[in-house]
Amino acid sequence: MNATVRNAFKPLASLKLTVVLLACGIFLIFSGTWAQIDMGIWTTLKTYFRAFFVWIPFAIFLPRHWNVHGGIPFPGGWLIGGLLMLNLITAHTVRFRYTRKRLGILLIHFGLVLLLCGELVTGIFADEARMSIDEGQTVNYAEDTRNVELAIIDPSGAQTDHVVVVPESRLRHRGRIQDARLPFVLQVEAFYPNAELVDGTELTAAGAGLGPVADRGFAASLGARARPRPSVSGVDQDEIDLPAAYITVLADGESRGTYLAALYFSLMPRFGPQDVVVGDKTYRMALRYVRDYKPYSISLLDFEHDRYLGTETPRNFSSRIRLVDATQNEDREVLIYMNNPLRYRGETFYQASFKQGDTGTVLQVVRNPGWLLPYIACTLGALGMIVHFGMHLKRFLRRTRTA
Amino acid sequence: MKVPAAARVLPWVGVLLALLYVASAFRPPRDGVMPLSRAAGMPVVDLGRTKPLDTFARSTLLIVSGRQSFYLAGTDGTSERKEAKGHERRPALAWLLDVMARPEQARGYRVVRVDHPDLKALLGAERERKYFSVDEIVQHREALEAQIQRATQLPAGSRDHYQRAVVDLAQKLTLVFNVEDWANLLLVPPLDPAAPDAWGSIASAEHQAQEHGNTSPATAAWTGTLQAWRSQESAAFAAAPAAYMEWLRSAPTVHGSRMRTELLFNRSAPFLHALGLYVIVFILASLSWLRLSRSLATTALWVLGVGLAMHTFGLVVRTYVQGRPPVTNLYSSAIFVGWGGAVLGLFLERFYRNGVGAATAAGMGFLTLLVAHNLSLDGDTMTMMQAVLDTNFWLATHVVVITLGYASTFLAGFLGILYILRGVLTRSLTAQEQVNLPRMIYGILCFATLFSFVGTILGGIWADQSWGRFWGWDPKENGALLIVLWNALILHARWGGMIRQRGLAVMAVAGNIVTSWSWFGTNMLGVGLHAYGFIDSAIFWMFTFVATQLAIIGTGLVPLHRWRSLQPAVKTATSPSSPQGASQRPGSRRPATPLAPPAPESPR
Repeated sequence: MNATVRNAFKPLASLKLTVVLLACGIFLIFSGTWAQIDMGIWTTLKTYFRAFFVWIPFAIFLPRHWNVHGGIPFPGGWLIGGLLMLNLITAHTVRFRYTRKRLGILLIHFGLVLLLCGELVTGIFADEARMSIDEGQTVNYAEDTRNVELAIIDPSGAQTDHVVVVPESRLRHRGRIQDARLPFVLQVEAFYPNAELVDGTELTAAGAGLGPVADRGFAASLGARARPRPSVSGVDQDEIDLPAAYITVLADGESRGTYLAALYFSLMPRFGPQDVVVGDKTYRMALRYVRDYKPYSISLLDFEHDRYLGTETPRNFSSRIRLVDATQNEDREVLIYMNNPLRYRGETFYQASFKQGDTGTVLQVVRNPGWLLPYIACTLGALGMIVHFGMHLKRFLRRTRTA
Repeated sequence: MKVPAAARVLPWVGVLLALLYVASAFRPPRDGVMPLSRAAGMPVVDLGRTKPLDTFARSTLLIVSGRQSFYLAGTDGTSERKEAKGHERRPALAWLLDVMARPEQARGYRVVRVDHPDLKALLGAERERKYFSVDEIVQHREALEAQIQRATQLPAGSRDHYQRAVVDLAQKLTLVFNVEDWANLLLVPPLDPAAPDAWGSIASAEHQAQEHGNTSPATAAWTGTLQAWRSQESAAFAAAPAAYMEWLRSAPTVHGSRMRTELLFNRSAPFLHALGLYVIVFILASLSWLRLSRSLATTALWVLGVGLAMHTFGLVVRTYVQGRPPVTNLYSSAIFVGWGGAVLGLFLERFYRNGVGAATAAGMGFLTLLVAHNLSLDGDTMTMMQAVLDTNFWLATHVVVITLGYASTFLAGFLGILYILRGVLTRSLTAQEQVNLPRMIYGILCFATLFSFVGTILGGIWADQSWGRFWGWDPKENGALLIVLWNALILHARWGGMIRQRGLAVMAVAGNIVTSWSWFGTNMLGVGLHAYGFIDSAIFWMFTFVATQLAIIGTGLVPLHRWRSLQPAVKTATSPSSPQGASQRPGSRRPATPLAPPAPESPR
């Protein structure tokens, strides 16, 4: 390489930059940990680690009742990680001499590059969903519990239902939704990312500002209204956002009733989808978690929740399932339990949770094309350190022996 | 040079005394009037684990009283340690048997610890009282029940100090009442080897006997033992459990040798003995620098060996009794951090023979065992694992390696503390030591980086195996990563010449803060999958520890000409802050002395 080019890259390859970036990384991670007290892991992930810049408020490090304002802008995870990578690569191109003594360091650094790549791949491509199955039930879809969709189901087919879904982003824009497959138009009156259902009959003047009222469906028969709430922070792991939307069904330019579609109804077995009658045909409507249909199905044969002798401390959760995949000619039983997931078709199924009364299981379904990278990275890094520090130790031992 | 005879004998005397001290722990138990040891090994199932009655008694009294024994004056039982003259120390097992067999008497013992002043006021007692009897508390039943109800209506996280104290007291009472109701404890081992988990209570066993006629030897043994205890007949008490204990030896459902080992563990208190020896090692090693005596350093090394042996014994016994790798909870991580640090310190001492390795090993061993002792006040330390943690493979790899990472990072930090304090405050940091100590720090930091890196990534792999996410940016994961990054930062700064000896020491001390944050601090945030519990007072101690480390860092940053070890070795009667010291301004050239290191190696 040309000497001038080499000199130009020197600052970028310097150890000083490495140290500064490591220090920045330490501060970022430290702040990102404190932020989780109020923000919840997913929001933190997006604002601190998978971001180029982040605003770090001073208040996160201090007791909340002090009400401290202000903060500092700081490089985010993508920026620090990217610069570290650049620093590492330029260091190896312009500064390093490749000798046997450097073998360990080379291995460690290559492992680190792989590790950072793995995090990049995960950040961009990884996908997480849930499958919740009752004992005896068969399910062929996973649910994305961070997004909802409005499903209009036509149950008149002999073998299968016909489903038209409206994504959450479309609901947020409100307005009219038309689809050639539906003989009616949907008018989104309101969409709340998180709402609680309240008894409309008990609302007095305060209820006046609540927006639309449903005159059909569950909400009409219960007299329920949706009251918007702020989104859940995430520290409270027991609480989830419960979106709701008011939908008016229009046919031939005329209103056929306003419905309250709420995730709450979909999650409660005694509700489920509600009937929408248009003309002489009955459709069903539900605001539910986004479903990702699979070419295979999973039936839950048995769910077990073992406890330690004489206590309520869980010892193990396990799900005995039957996996059926016609496209692969697959039909077999699998036991999924803690620390023993099922890997199938590039997806991994973990025992994540269970339904009340141990009547069903909740499996976490993860697709992460980069899952193998950390394993390789770890092996390389550990090997590199053992080689490098081993050489140090050998030298040290030789010196003390001769001394 | 001729070594004086006294100096040659010293290590032998030291190690002999240490061995005697340790041996005293293994004396056979001495019984009083009642042969308590006969009942100590009777099995109980409590918190999901089969344990000897002695352990059950100790952990129950620990929770109720914060101690493993209590004090009794005469026979009226209204004793508190302070007020009683001629009081009698009663072991936990005697208390437990009293609660079971003579509850009306046991309810009069002042054993229930209450700390919150408002709660004491509610019980109508003066602030100085610490221990209350069940009878005294029950007198205020109505007022207390109202408070308990109010407190339990709130979720556990949003209760204030007082409400937590109220709930805590309610739990202590429940614990005592459960023991009084001993017929419903799980005391009867299953007869059927195919169902090892089918432990039953005496009540259900008696029912079984009436219905189906199959009597368990446990029933007779327990009723006989408790009857004998009630009437305090020592011969009957010794005889009652004998047949049952003999039967247990061949019972397939009770792991007899584990139970006996646990009794030995309880009796010998290996960690407390190790703690005592570590104190002595630290003193010996410190003295060795002041007197510059080689034989004191050797004595320290040998006594350290004995202390470490006791520490190791405790660790191995726990591992055996639990059937688990050594680190399963916060308590055992403290034990293991101390052990790892002591082993590495011993290794250093073996090479350098300058008392430094021994002193840091002992200092770390002492502090971590002290932390462990305080964590043990929560009750039984051999707790069962939550389902997701129930895997010996990952406990043996990830947890052990990451804990060694904590241990080695702390060891480097403690070496840094020695470098700074000896350098600034004393003249004992000789030119040789000024080179040796940073080398030791550097070497240990390399270990620390390796262990924390591998441990952290193994943790990621475990997470990937168990909930499908290699890295979740969870507080505990972040904490571990911070240690790796901090160690990497120190090493890179050293390689880049940005820091030298002094900088290395100062940054290693800062590593103590990073590690304590990762080890304890992240648990205190109360978020994340790894939040396995913390104690209020832990926050206070954590802050105290951080403050001391900051003070040491501040000390390390004083200008080098203020470091006593770096000042010219001119014997003057003046103090370090004398005009002579002031005349040496920063930047002024110091006269070259043998103590000042050569220029390229000079601390920065």
